[in-house]
Amino acid sequence: MSASTRRILAGAATGALLLGLTTACGSSDSSSSNGTVTLRYAIWDAVQKPALQKSIAAFEKQHPNIKVKIELNAWAQYWSKLQTQIAGRTAPDVFWDHVAYFPQFAQQGVLTDLTPYIKADKLDTSVYDSKLLSGWQQNGKQYGLPKDWDTIAQVYNKTMLKTAGLTQEQLSGLSWNTTDGGTFVKALQKLTIDKNGKHPNETGFDSEHVKQYGLALSSPNGQTDWWNAATQNGCKLQDKAWGKWTINQPSCVQAIQFVRDLRLKYHVAVPASVTNTPNGAALPAVMARKQAAVVWDGSWDLNAYQSSMKGNFGVAELPAGPVGKGTVYNGLSNALYAGSSHPKEAWQLVKWLGSEESQKIIVATGSVWPGIPTLNKDFVTVWQKQGVDVSAFSKEAGDTTIGYPLTTSSATYNVKVQDAFNQVWLGQQSAQKAADSVNEESNAAVK
Amino acid sequence: MSSSPIPAAVRRAPLYAVLLVGALLSVGPYLLTLNAAFKRPSDLLSTDAWAPAHPATFANFADVWNQYGMSSFLLHTLGVAVIVTAGQVVFSAMAAYALARLEFPGRDWLFWGYIATMMVPQMITLVPLFLMMRDLGLVDTYAGLVLPTLLGTPYGVFLVRQHFMTIPRDLEAAARIDGATTWGILVRIMLPLSRPILATLATITFINTWNNLIWPLIITNSDRTRVITVGIAALQGQHASDLPHIVLAGAAIALLPLIVIFLLFQRHIVRSIALTGLK
Amino acid sequence: MIVNIPAATRPPAADRGHPSAEPPTPTDGERHRRRSRIRTAVEAYVLLAPSLIGFVLFLLVPIVGVVVISLFDWNLMGSPHFVGLANYREMAGDSEVWRAVRNTVYYVVLNIPAQTVLALLLTLAMNRRMRGGKVLRVLFVLPWMAMPVALGIVWNWAFDPQNGVVNQFLSLFGVDGPAWLSSTAWAMPVLASVNIWQYTGYTMLFLLAGLQAIPESLYEAADLDGAGPVTRFFRITLPLLRPSMFFVLVTNTIGSFQMFDTVYVMTQGGPGGSTDTMNFHIYQQAFQLFRTGYASALAMLLFALILLVTAVQVVYFRKRTVYDFS
Repeated sequence: MSASTRRILAGAATGALLLGLTTACGSSDSSSSNGTVTLRYAIWDAVQKPALQKSIAAFEKQHPNIKVKIELNAWAQYWSKLQTQIAGRTAPDVFWDHVAYFPQFAQQGVLTDLTPYIKADKLDTSVYDSKLLSGWQQNGKQYGLPKDWDTIAQVYNKTMLKTAGLTQEQLSGLSWNTTDGGTFVKALQKLTIDKNGKHPNETGFDSEHVKQYGLALSSPNGQTDWWNAATQNGCKLQDKAWGKWTINQPSCVQAIQFVRDLRLKYHVAVPASVTNTPNGAALPAVMARKQAAVVWDGSWDLNAYQSSMKGNFGVAELPAGPVGKGTVYNGLSNALYAGSSHPKEAWQLVKWLGSEESQKIIVATGSVWPGIPTLNKDFVTVWQKQGVDVSAFSKEAGDTTIGYPLTTSSATYNVKVQDAFNQVWLGQQSAQKAADSVNEESNAAVK
Repeated sequence: MSSSPIPAAVRRAPLYAVLLVGALLSVGPYLLTLNAAFKRPSDLLSTDAWAPAHPATFANFADVWNQYGMSSFLLHTLGVAVIVTAGQVVFSAMAAYALARLEFPGRDWLFWGYIATMMVPQMITLVPLFLMMRDLGLVDTYAGLVLPTLLGTPYGVFLVRQHFMTIPRDLEAAARIDGATTWGILVRIMLPLSRPILATLATITFINTWNNLIWPLIITNSDRTRVITVGIAALQGQHASDLPHIVLAGAAIALLPLIVIFLLFQRHIVRSIALTGLK
Repeated sequence: MIVNIPAATRPPAADRGHPSAEPPTPTDGERHRRRSRIRTAVEAYVLLAPSLIGFVLFLLVPIVGVVVISLFDWNLMGSPHFVGLANYREMAGDSEVWRAVRNTVYYVVLNIPAQTVLALLLTLAMNRRMRGGKVLRVLFVLPWMAMPVALGIVWNWAFDPQNGVVNQFLSLFGVDGPAWLSSTAWAMPVLASVNIWQYTGYTMLFLLAGLQAIPESLYEAADLDGAGPVTRFFRITLPLLRPSMFFVLVTNTIGSFQMFDTVYVMTQGGPGGSTDTMNFHIYQQAFQLFRTGYASALAMLLFALILLVTAVQVVYFRKRTVYDFS
């Protein structure tokens, strides 16, 4: 070979070396030379991150050979990202799992069955709320340990409520109907003020220039808005567990229509163009900007309200609908990725996050209601000290609740429902049509 | 064009006015973004977008840099863009020389093969590339990030090849007689004569790599490989409503480096765009 | 975005791709020549190797791969099921796909004419010696290198119904701007405005070069014939700009067909699917719903669409250009 080709080969070799180096940099993280293991832990809620960091600091102290790296991706990207990671065989060792995706993941064999670990460590699972624990079981296998539970309630601005002459008890005792909106709409009318100080039920109310709305609603899938109204109207999202979606039934469509009417007929709720676009304002941000007096939100967001409103907020029960009270009850688990290269260490983390010790740390920060029911009262106490009565969440949990539909089609439902229902909230599509199309597409994806 | 008796300044006043408005529209979004990124959060929501940031604060940049990972996004992006750019320039020049000057069987087939694939949309290759990287174990690595473009693109080869075709052959013939090797001719004669086009290819590659969203979005998934496009898109998804000042500071940091690079090389690039139609 | 239709940059000539080549080898004997030919070929392939490996591995193989995958039902996990042409049949009856095609074409139609006409006007205005001409040129090209993701963020903020600069500006004139990105009518034009802003200056630069290549003598001759500025524009400028115009149109169109970043950042295909373009729909099917086979079939459709539109442009321009150059 000539000198020139040799030079070229040398160049190519250099290139290869360069590549090798970058590859090495890319993959050298999971275990380092001194025997410590770094676990990746995926979550989606920035509000809960500080509390989790506290718990993990304690975990790392107990396990000096394990480091935990939290990977935060917002809900809107989390599932697409996680599924891409799973498809790319690079999923995090431990991740937050959700009832909506649990069936699909269990079916795909992505989750580790924890039963052998539980047996080996003689872990007492009776400390958990049995409803929560069994939510993560399938065919006698346990695919996660309960992290928390949550319901939806009305978070309100104390000053605004007082100015309108309303109390927390009154807010908790409201009811709505499909004919005139009921006492719920009447209360929201009092809380809604245009730039001239007029309310929506007064003549001359300027619905284009509203200074303060009674209510703000927003949800990527329905959990914090219309699912609650649907439950209060006797609607079932599914005919049976693992069955078909039934969100286009009259009871459901009426509830969807009512949520739409709050915005477009009664003008008491923040327009969807503010709260419901893909980059729309999050509910705590709407409250921080004093754009609304009340929001329907989940207990997981309490710390977000605390950081911007400093105790000037309270929690009331959701209103009753034509059929009665009702809310969405849900919980998350910590799941162990079946492809983890450090399953033993990852189990240690899962076990820790499910332990009373860790959940006590979380509860002390007021982050989320614990998966271990004996700690519920501590959660109430923590918030009482901040001047906030959070018992509405637990009271609702004891009333009528619905859970997430058990189905393998949640990915499709979630991708389709947001845009379709935003069209309803914007008045650009009818409730029936949107419900029909989402129902049909989701059912087509049931496997 | 031909002259006219009316004083040029008068005749051109409206023209200048229109061009200035156009220039303002061109630069406006940059300036507004920068201005907004210097505003305090409360001012950002309460003042008009064109009201100058007063008092100006550097805190947004500091926060997005330190607390929201911008420093590492920038580092990753810079590393990836530099490696891909170096690879493309070197490998494209090598291939271009072979296609432009060396006689070998299959050359025309290859050349047309390269050209034929230029119209293939990126989406076509996305899923297969992802699968390939998965089987190579390169998902979520820098290697996976740079490999598909590191070895050059048909476009880069074409660009340099077209330029090599314009260089007179006499120079090479003379060098050959003096005993120069092929590699020597490429390095000592062709490349020095091609600095503008290579600078242009380098800049274009750098810009394209810097700005690329879809491939990093799919092939990377952790903080240690996150590049700036994916980083600020996530920032927007999470904080557009509660921390717009942070998100805009992130966008400003993403936009500015390319402007600096462009201004450094603008003489080459403006000429080259005009001559070759780069995109 | 890297696209190029080189055939258009020059009028078709017989020797394209066949550079006249006299191997510069010493001529002492047939054997020597053959050896040197082989050596040259080896050298050529060594030089080509990295590029060729990349070309085959990361372009050709994936292109074949996508065709194969499009015949399967596969979520990237588990085993793929061969379904033949079922994905293509489903595609034909999928109203969301045809909506995505319509949206994509609409986006291109909003983009290309506006961009081209604006660029042409700008070119005519810039085509003279003037103070600050060079600075202006640089300013006009500045948008071209901007990161679309960052632009999406900036545009989102600018078109915010409450705090956005656009509605703030409109309110100076007493106009209440709409909620742009929540409106099925406005969302797509707003997305198109990002691209128009980004590429008008670039297009201008390219047309300007084409314009300056037109010999002054043609205009002088036209002056002698007493042609006015309008006649000169339509009879000389426009016809002779056609090659540049063709290039700009083809590359900008191909680029527009592949718009993804701004949709991803700004609208996620909404509201009501009004900005769900082909590229975004493919991404969603592939990496949110993991219908990989179906997404691959959709990618083939996108490719076919691009080929079709490019072919139409080629045929149209070739016909016209031949007339004008003859």
